[in-house]
Amino acid sequence: MTAFKFGLVHAPVTPFANGRLDLAGYGSVLDFHLQHGAEALALPMHAGESVSLTVTEREALLEFALSHVKSRIPVIANVSEAGTGIAASLARHAAKAGAAAVIASVPYYWKPPQHMLVAHFLAIAEAGELPLFVLNAPAEMNEVEFASKSVVDLIRRTPLMAGLIDMSLDWQYMIEVITVARATRADFQLVSGAEYMISAAAIGATGMLSPLAGIAPKLIANLYALCMAEKFREARPAQEQAAILFRAVRDAGVAGLKSGIRAMGRNCGAPRPPLRALDATEAKALLAQISAAGVMNSEPRGWM
Amino acid sequence: MTLVLKGVMQSPVTPLKDDFSPDYETFEKLVDFHVRTGATAISWPHHKAESHNLTIPERKKLTEVAIKTVAKRVPISIHVSALALEDTYDLARHAQKAGADAIIAITPYFWKYQPDAIYDYFVDLGTSIDLPLIAYNSPSYLDGIEFTGELTGRLIQRLPNLIGMKEASFNSEKFFEILRAALPLRPNFAMIAGVEYLLPSVSLGGAGSYSSAGAICPNLCVDLYDSCASGNWARARELQYKLSQLWLLFRDQYPSSLKGGCVIMGRPVGPTSPPLPTASPERIKFIEQQLEALGILDSEPHGW
Repeated sequence: MTAFKFGLVHAPVTPFANGRLDLAGYGSVLDFHLQHGAEALALPMHAGESVSLTVTEREALLEFALSHVKSRIPVIANVSEAGTGIAASLARHAAKAGAAAVIASVPYYWKPPQHMLVAHFLAIAEAGELPLFVLNAPAEMNEVEFASKSVVDLIRRTPLMAGLIDMSLDWQYMIEVITVARATRADFQLVSGAEYMISAAAIGATGMLSPLAGIAPKLIANLYALCMAEKFREARPAQEQAAILFRAVRDAGVAGLKSGIRAMGRNCGAPRPPLRALDATEAKALLAQISAAGVMNSEPRGWM
Repeated sequence: MTLVLKGVMQSPVTPLKDDFSPDYETFEKLVDFHVRTGATAISWPHHKAESHNLTIPERKKLTEVAIKTVAKRVPISIHVSALALEDTYDLARHAQKAGADAIIAITPYFWKYQPDAIYDYFVDLGTSIDLPLIAYNSPSYLDGIEFTGELTGRLIQRLPNLIGMKEASFNSEKFFEILRAALPLRPNFAMIAGVEYLLPSVSLGGAGSYSSAGAICPNLCVDLYDSCASGNWARARELQYKLSQLWLLFRDQYPSSLKGGCVIMGRPVGPTSPPLPTASPERIKFIEQQLEALGILDSEPHGW
């Protein structure tokens, strides 16, 4: 059932024009990712300002992406929401629209007990009948973690539970999850939700979710390929470059990601409020970091 | 300062008599056991040795026993951290006089302070002795007080005797950030994972680890390091998953369950001192079942 293989998945940003979704601009963003190594797209992730979109906009965005990509690569829908019913409804829509899989984080704001988290994800999986990847990002989600026991519980309750995307970067958690999950389902997938691919791949991760591919797709593709070939020593220079970018963009948030993409000659506009664009000083500091990562001259500039 | 650390280094527990006083005779046997079963270095007393529950005179006497027992077969470092820094400086001087090969120290306990206070403390400590110094980073136990890459780099430039770090964040970003700041300044700087998370740390460029389970399963520890060092990643994964399960078994109320496990392996080391609990007969039975399920009872040495 879970034949869907995650692979190297890009997380595109969402452009806005005059405060509204800029679907024409989004088409350019998607084309760029299609041309630069994405094995699949995941949208809209936090990098795509999912939280700042209405449910109607999210559905429109997904439908547009699917019609634009035209099945050249799979599109994975992020259906993370606060309420289980709304998340399940987004999953149902994603399936009808033609998404290949869904991603869901623990609910926003609430701190439910683990059995309610399992019920939340089960409802999403059953509504969409699509492979489900749970996103574990405790630092972003109020320290709520999807416990390894709950991963096993969910695997036992639905064949749709395909894998876990880890953003904790916590070795204890990642190894515990992959150990108990693989013992329950041999083809369970661990995916790195951040561009720290050496340690993740060593642990056994077989996929990577990358917002930074919008800035430096060649670096990300190279890092991913070397790690999948278990050439960890050879991957270290690329990992260093990715680490510099990761920390610069993480500290500056979505505004930083959009500013970085703009520095590469691809203007995706400003983020939607309450986020604000970087001011000139902040943008300059970020540019210095991108230069320090050594990607200014080795990566595609402009939209081609 | 030519001490270069690598591999799995053992930090023995402290055997206690029923009245919780140190059992010097068994301590000698345990230190000797570690040296004979593949420890590339000895380091004592880490927190698993109940360092906080020993008096300063007890620590000094046990230090002398450990150094005498190791008898130069492998390097030995002494953990000098204490609540009061005056005790730390005293323990450091004593370690040097007693013939230790290095000292190891964590960021100061309890208080909240700025990174510069860590810098000043390590400069004072590192210049107070004529021995190599290993720094110890454990942000989750010290409420976020930690070494950053920047701070580590500054200390390396100031202290020619800072040769490595025990890194216990178990986090890809934190570990790699320190490593990539340190190695260009000091290529032999040893990044040592706090316990046997060798798969993610060695792949990132780490030198090895300290050990939680070395008194239970030294063969597994050595085998895992060798698999990582030789790039046999599939085998390393299999062994790491097993060793990580042991860490999860021992982690809570550490080293209570570990000492319980030593009973099963025929190497009893006595109780754990209050306020930590001593493993109950039921707990020991449970640990025995886990060790059996993991195949430890058949593949590891029994008795001394």
